[in-house]
Amino acid sequence: MISSKYIPIIKIRPIIVGVVFSISLSVHAEDSAQPRDGEIVYAKICGYCHDVGIGPNIKDRQLPPEYIHYIVRRGLRAMPAFPEPYISDEELKQIGRFIY
Amino acid sequence: MGEQKFDVLPRGVNQQAFLKAVEAFRKLLGDENVLTKPEQLIAYMKIMMPVDEAEHAPSAALTATTVEQIQAIVKICNEYRIPIWTISTGRNFGYGSAAPHHRGQIILDLKKMNKILHVDPELCTALVEPGVTYQQLYDYLQAHDLPLMLSMPAPSAIAGPLGNTMDRGVGYTPYGEHFLMQCGMEVVLANGEVLRTGMGGVKGDNSWQVFKWGYGPTIDGLFTQSNYGICTKMGFWLMPRPPVYKPFSIKFDSEDDIADIVEVLRPLRIAQIIPNALVIANALWEAGGANVRRTQYYEGQGVTPDDVIERICADKGIGQWNVYAALYGTREQVAVNWQIVTDAIKALGKGAIITEEEAGDTEPFKYRAKLMQGIPNLQEFGLYNWRGGGGSMWFAPVSQARGSETSKQMRLAKKILNKYGLDYVGEFIVGWRDMHHVIDVLCDRSDPAEFKAAYACFQELLDEFERQGYAVYRVNTAFMERVAQSYGPVKRRVEHAIKRALDPNNILAPGKSGIDLETFKG
Repeated sequence: MISSKYIPIIKIRPIIVGVVFSISLSVHAEDSAQPRDGEIVYAKICGYCHDVGIGPNIKDRQLPPEYIHYIVRRGLRAMPAFPEPYISDEELKQIGRFIY
Repeated sequence: MGEQKFDVLPRGVNQQAFLKAVEAFRKLLGDENVLTKPEQLIAYMKIMMPVDEAEHAPSAALTATTVEQIQAIVKICNEYRIPIWTISTGRNFGYGSAAPHHRGQIILDLKKMNKILHVDPELCTALVEPGVTYQQLYDYLQAHDLPLMLSMPAPSAIAGPLGNTMDRGVGYTPYGEHFLMQCGMEVVLANGEVLRTGMGGVKGDNSWQVFKWGYGPTIDGLFTQSNYGICTKMGFWLMPRPPVYKPFSIKFDSEDDIADIVEVLRPLRIAQIIPNALVIANALWEAGGANVRRTQYYEGQGVTPDDVIERICADKGIGQWNVYAALYGTREQVAVNWQIVTDAIKALGKGAIITEEEAGDTEPFKYRAKLMQGIPNLQEFGLYNWRGGGGSMWFAPVSQARGSETSKQMRLAKKILNKYGLDYVGEFIVGWRDMHHVIDVLCDRSDPAEFKAAYACFQELLDEFERQGYAVYRVNTAFMERVAQSYGPVKRRVEHAIKRALDPNNILAPGKSGIDLETFKG
């Protein structure tokens, strides 16, 4: 028996058929032509390492945009490099503004 | 444009022919999607293997966003005999990253081809393009409040399901053997034709993502870890998110416990009492995941001494071996299975069970619990800080899920690694009846001696394991030819016969898994 050890994560609930139909046909893409917001890209990529001590803190350090661009495109030691199709030049500028 | 001189060229292609091909690519894709300048290509050259980057330098990189563009690209490649190395998200860390198999191949980068084409919450299936990341898909499920769970590898947030599955990567949930959960592929062949596997070729069919086998030979596997086509869509199954999720860890204090751990867990795994791809991680793997750097404890050269490892274990509450598993289901199902698990550990007489409540917010439990629940994070990158310097190669021999085998493999690997002054940093990922014994051969790429030692060590690991009847399930680009030899000449001849039939001009990723019409003499 276990008592307080359960971790409920969802409530089972009926799913409305019409909603399912529309979702199952939906197509979702990140719009490559539109740069993503710097804060979002930071949170979904950079922050996973730089906010938890794996990579150094890069917020509030007034890092120059050229430096950010240089490191992101080349990587540094264990940090992977990210090519332009992965994070665009414009997105890099927005990340730079967000963490400045 | 016509005056441009290229520093790197594909094997056997001269400046003039390459220029013509590049001009054709530019006409097709636009200048912005044809990268040829060194500063544009530098991001594709970052590797973790201890080999010279120049050996894996691409001659150019192309970005495509449609199947039609890819069809036109292979046509140009056939005309000018240009080899292309396709990447989806290009995150294949420790296996070659985004860099091509050998110098001069053109990168075909499909990161911008990133549509989530279909998610069916009733049948629990998905169909995605190559550039979709686990994070993107996770966000999609969250945004639409869909009760589905992903399975992902440790570089989850930035890697993608298509690339990981095509390379037969694994995750940590009950759907952790990703290729087992794949259902339906769309593949652009070298001749430009578009193949749909399984039910996908039937006009009007809607079973593509629910029935894997189709009719006649089932050929999906031919396109994994191979170079017979370019996968442009992949279907796969998603696990319904269970009402109750209960992650736990079991800590063992002796390195000798590995055999007993496997013997006690195997029956539970095969019987699906523990349904997920559970892991058994050694102390140093755990140290990395807990953000421990070697220099915090030891400034010496060579192998980390045992007493230092013991001190880290004591400080961080880490075992010499650490099991991570989870139970999924209704409250009643989880209660029954929890009782079986705890009874089994009690009967074993060793091993301390740690629940999520007991672990609290500590690492590495926290990130392991996320991975077993399909929540993206990158905490395991802490491994790369253990030694520092950005060097990593995965040595991943397959093992039976049998205590005596795992013990033998662990001792053999440790002996060889230690001989070269490197640490054994390993874990066993329990598939079902097998284990992926995953060892991170970590080195400081900026240290010439360590760089050289790591390469030699990897060679010896492959050689010695082969002598004992073992082989790896996947390997980095520098050792693909070597590993192909382990699997025997007949398999290689068949692979090359297929290659000749499907890609006679050898334009698709020559060298992948040792398949290369130009170099194979068998």
